[in-house]
Amino acid sequence: MDKTAKETRPDMSPVKEAASRLISNVSKVIVGKRETIELALVAMLCEGHLLIEDVPGIGKTMLAKAVAKSLGCSFRRIQATPDLLPSDVTGIHYFNQKTSEFEFRPGPIMANIVLIDEINRATPRTQSCLLESMQEQQVTVDLETIPLPRPFLVIATQNPVELEGTFPLPEAQLDRFLLMVKLGYPSEDEEGAILSRFEKENPLDSLNSVLETKELLELQKLCRQVYVEESVRNYVTAITRATRDHAGIRLGASPRASLGLHLAAQALAAIRGRNYVIPDDVKHLAVPALAHRLISKTEAQLRGRSSEAIVSEIVSSLPVPVEE
Amino acid sequence: MKLDWRQSILYIAALGIESCWLYALLMLLGIKVAGGNLSIPGILFLYPVAFLFNRLLRLLRWPRACLLGISWLAWAASMLLMIKVQLFGHLPLSDTAWLLSIPQSLVQVIYTFRPELLILISTVALWWLGRRLAYSSVNFVALVSKFQFGLVILAFTFLIASPLGVTLHGQVPITLAFFLSALVGISVAHALEGTSWLSGLNQGHWGGLLLFSISLILVLGLLISVVITPDLLQFIVDAARWVWGLITRGVAFIISLFPAPEPASMGPLPEEPMAPPAEEPDWSELLRMPDSVRSGLRIGWTVMVVGFLLFFLWRVSSDIFRWLRRKLTGMSGAEFEPLPGAFKADLLGLLKRILFWWLRLRLLLGKRTKAAALPEVNSVRQIYRQLLRWAGAGGHPRLSSQTPHEYCHALSGLLPEVQSDLALITQQYVLTRYGAWLPTEGELGQLSQAWHKVKQNKLKRLN
Repeated sequence: MDKTAKETRPDMSPVKEAASRLISNVSKVIVGKRETIELALVAMLCEGHLLIEDVPGIGKTMLAKAVAKSLGCSFRRIQATPDLLPSDVTGIHYFNQKTSEFEFRPGPIMANIVLIDEINRATPRTQSCLLESMQEQQVTVDLETIPLPRPFLVIATQNPVELEGTFPLPEAQLDRFLLMVKLGYPSEDEEGAILSRFEKENPLDSLNSVLETKELLELQKLCRQVYVEESVRNYVTAITRATRDHAGIRLGASPRASLGLHLAAQALAAIRGRNYVIPDDVKHLAVPALAHRLISKTEAQLRGRSSEAIVSEIVSSLPVPVEE
Repeated sequence: MKLDWRQSILYIAALGIESCWLYALLMLLGIKVAGGNLSIPGILFLYPVAFLFNRLLRLLRWPRACLLGISWLAWAASMLLMIKVQLFGHLPLSDTAWLLSIPQSLVQVIYTFRPELLILISTVALWWLGRRLAYSSVNFVALVSKFQFGLVILAFTFLIASPLGVTLHGQVPITLAFFLSALVGISVAHALEGTSWLSGLNQGHWGGLLLFSISLILVLGLLISVVITPDLLQFIVDAARWVWGLITRGVAFIISLFPAPEPASMGPLPEEPMAPPAEEPDWSELLRMPDSVRSGLRIGWTVMVVGFLLFFLWRVSSDIFRWLRRKLTGMSGAEFEPLPGAFKADLLGLLKRILFWWLRLRLLLGKRTKAAALPEVNSVRQIYRQLLRWAGAGGHPRLSSQTPHEYCHALSGLLPEVQSDLALITQQYVLTRYGAWLPTEGELGQLSQAWHKVKQNKLKRLN
């Protein structure tokens, strides 16, 4: 640790200011849920993908659309259904009779922000076609690899209760999502505020973008420069490693999960105006970054122990790197 | 073994003398180590218990090793009980955290002195003193020795309490109890033995002798209090300050002979060259030494100081040996065999061993020293460690899974009046620890003030 290194570390106030702007903008549509909006922003800043899971009518699609609209990027929406084909997502080569040539017509995946609504209604075949695009920011159509525009963010929603006619996401797919958030029911006051806000018009219609693509890319680069002290880094790996040894877990978190948690902690620190990560950031993000990637054992499921509860248990039992 | 009631008084007096200085010393250590959250009378209670227990054991006609084993087993049980009651009263017996804290405190002894260690050491000392008293006879010589030793420790404790920033409550009652115990014990012992001119005059009237001794001490105390007035003390202090002023002026003159450590900053150049002022030559300039000479002198000075120390050690040891030789040659039946050069060889061996262990310790701590090289960082972390120890001793230890901010929040709920100070200490620690931040001198000053403010409070123990 030297003074020079500390002084050359960048100032994170642009990230904080942009985050505040974006959260205020999204809050014009989504009542309360500031923490969830913040998590969505964390995913944006890490160029990670976001999965929103909750019961119908909570505002999942509304949140996704509000976030997408707040970012001045190209936006497409895919409504996942059982008859949705991979080519409907990636695009197809069609024969243009005028030019007598095969031409590529890009699918809705070719956008900066892609909202996949009710992703678990798509067949495994279609879900699998998203793997390449989510991890490698590219698609391969008819032996041709096409890069996706940057930034590329997938915001997907899924409903955990109506399981008939759905295809649960495979673990490989779930692992591609940086964070999974749940909105939860609003409080009584919040519900009243929703009614009054949507009484005359939908505030989403009048929502303007507050963050341009170029600015978002710069902020993403800035977030990567947030300092992570060695003991905090070890704390991240200790949490993910603990999921692999837990008695209630069949499949623990992958190294990709460690990396995701590390990046998300950097972004959260930047959003809060800090140029260094603290253990609080890691603790705060452990459940949204890890729980959806775990497969719990049947015994744990029968006892009603969710993955979220297990991650919380791990976090509350692992020692935080502090003085003794 | 039946005790005469006068003999019992002697034991009580010995217990009283030692209890007084032990109480003062433990109170000082308790405040420094545990923030004053340990019950000192509770710990000290072990001393009479140890005495009575060992006295009873002495009545048994068992082998000595067996008695020794039982005695120290009883100490171990008492020590564990003491740690559980004093520090971990809120934890159930089944929770092993309080048991594990003892080895942890031993492991961390290089870095921190935890309250568990203080209890461990103090209980060992108390048990050993109690056992020693139980197996020894108390007479005039023993009591006078105890009095002299106790007086030195008591005076030392009271003297260092103030520079350490510790307020010891009850200094007057402790001192009174100490002198009363000593006076009664010494008088009774003296009367019992009847070996001096006083016993000749008052043989069989030890009560009168006791009264005479007390009167003599009181008269002496009165005379001292009449002679040593606040004005006299002020005069002594002023004289000491004047002498100190002379010394500092002398030191300042010597320092002025050395070259300035950094070149003076250059101001703007004058527009026109100025004629040098016609001043008398400064003779002190001639005495200025170049850096190479200064380094040489420093080495020479170090060698001289070390040489003096070794010579002093040599002389003192030689005198002791000469005295021992005289004593031994005077004794009948004792043989004296001179071993020329043996002492010198032993001394060199000792110095070599000290050097070896010092080098080994440096090697062991090398990594840690490198990691925490910056003094500003060490200061912040040290203060945070003190806060953790203080709150831990107050019954609110940090849970291992708690972050500094979470712990600060928990402590703020208990001490809302110093909430801002706790937040400042935590914030500085977090910045230094996780942000690799170097605090400024001003920030360190604020931190120190905040810590002093926090530690003046007493945490309420959890039930």
